[in-house]
Amino acid sequence: MALSLLRTLIPFDIYGGMKLTGKYFGKVLRQANRGVKRTHVVVEYPEVPTTLMPRFRGRLQLIKDEQGEIKCVCCLACEKICPTQVITIEKGKKEGRKTPFPLRYDFEMERCIFCEFCVESCGFDSIILNHQFELAGYNREDFSHAMEGEFQNMFDITPVGHYSVASED
Amino acid sequence: MFKTEEMEINLGPQHPSTHGVLRVKLHLDGETVVRCVPMIGYLHRGVEKICENKTFFQGQVWTDRTDYVASVSNNLGWAEGVEKLFGITVPRRAHYIRTMLTELNRITSHLLWLGTHALDIGAMTVFLYAFREREEILSIFEAFCGARLTTTAFRIGGLREDIPPGFEKQVRAFQARFLDCIDEYEILLTENRIWKKRTIGVAMLNAEDAIALGVTGPVLRAAGSAYDIRKAFPYAAYGEMDFDVATQPAGDTYARYLVRLEEMRQAHRIVNQCLDGLPEGPVMAKLPKVLKSEVNEIYHAIEAPKGELGYYFIGEKGGVNPYRMHIRAPSFINLQALSKMVEGRLLADVIAAIGTLDVVLGEVDR
Repeated sequence: MALSLLRTLIPFDIYGGMKLTGKYFGKVLRQANRGVKRTHVVVEYPEVPTTLMPRFRGRLQLIKDEQGEIKCVCCLACEKICPTQVITIEKGKKEGRKTPFPLRYDFEMERCIFCEFCVESCGFDSIILNHQFELAGYNREDFSHAMEGEFQNMFDITPVGHYSVASED
Repeated sequence: MFKTEEMEINLGPQHPSTHGVLRVKLHLDGETVVRCVPMIGYLHRGVEKICENKTFFQGQVWTDRTDYVASVSNNLGWAEGVEKLFGITVPRRAHYIRTMLTELNRITSHLLWLGTHALDIGAMTVFLYAFREREEILSIFEAFCGARLTTTAFRIGGLREDIPPGFEKQVRAFQARFLDCIDEYEILLTENRIWKKRTIGVAMLNAEDAIALGVTGPVLRAAGSAYDIRKAFPYAAYGEMDFDVATQPAGDTYARYLVRLEEMRQAHRIVNQCLDGLPEGPVMAKLPKVLKSEVNEIYHAIEAPKGELGYYFIGEKGGVNPYRMHIRAPSFINLQALSKMVEGRLLADVIAAIGTLDVVLGEVDR
């Protein structure tokens, strides 16, 4: 009883909370823009590109080999494994190429959930999820990626996302 | 002279202090709650039905989206349930990494709960500190599997890849400072007089009622019952871990707060043990190319941050997808205790009760 009265009269709890807040307030005040070792977590994102983890799962991208040939051989494994059926491949033949060649490789990004099952199922390392995360578009066509076209190219990073260019791989 | 009548009001579904799209129909007598009916279904997507039309491999991505705050735990429940259905043995290293990530996920879930629950009751500061640590764990998830929230972390039979280089250092850096962070939350809240006024004796639920309603998780343990599936039916690597089950006898909101803080400390202990005793070896079991089930039905339950998360599978002969799949979602069943907690109490206590139950509406509605 006496103890609880004492606790009510002397505000130890308020003192503790204020001390903690003051500690962090002072820390930021001392270190902000002073060239000391930076402890805050703010990143100047649009001006400075963000660093992503190497395993980051971004947009689907088709890969070409050293000769500039598409590595995809139309085994349709990615099409089958995709939980949301966003990949459509049309099989075809090309002069001077033994393996099948994709005439069409369509990727409808509006339904993609970026689970990376397609990359995992691919036995030929012909697709990756690149490091692009700025996937906003101005119209619906921006989300329908195919092998040709300016803004919906399966090989390149779309021009909209120039901040998140993949750094290492 | 004066006419009094009961008033019926809706709390939600877009009210800022309900979590997600929860609508609570309240019958009020003045400021006292007479009757309280949670109206659910605003986020229903039919996850169970969708999963019946997907293969066992594909179905995992929907478990990310039921309890999106604790998606790694959901992935674990799915993966272990399917492994139990097919009788697959997972390598020991995979078990350890799974346990470590699930415990880190328990910390993120409890941190999000702590931040938002304190914010509802009126403590703004702890939200900022809780999210600072949550951010670090989400970076750990990003390093491991490439996504922060919808992780799809595990595969049937083990893991997709081993831990990346530098991962152990990243986790150890977090582990080194996390205990101090819990102490900071305690400084801000545990002895805080406003916090104690708003939580002690509020939203009481005793052990008998909790068991009768099927409530599990921290809500049950805060009522004095030391039921934890990690101890009762050990799964993954929990049988080899040394940890305590946090309990409190009181059964009020304050007790649930103390239980969850203690669970974070225990999760910290388990992660340390996983890192120290991480065995060498493969992370993926040998699997047939296509998983085809027999006529079989299993129920597998794990201790998710919110309570008992169970996956119930029925397999048909030669089926590549489950014939029937059911999720025993802890949030859904814990929410049934809401009316028991708040009836006869004040309107302001409803906010505290919704917060303390830690419901995620993606899981309630599925």
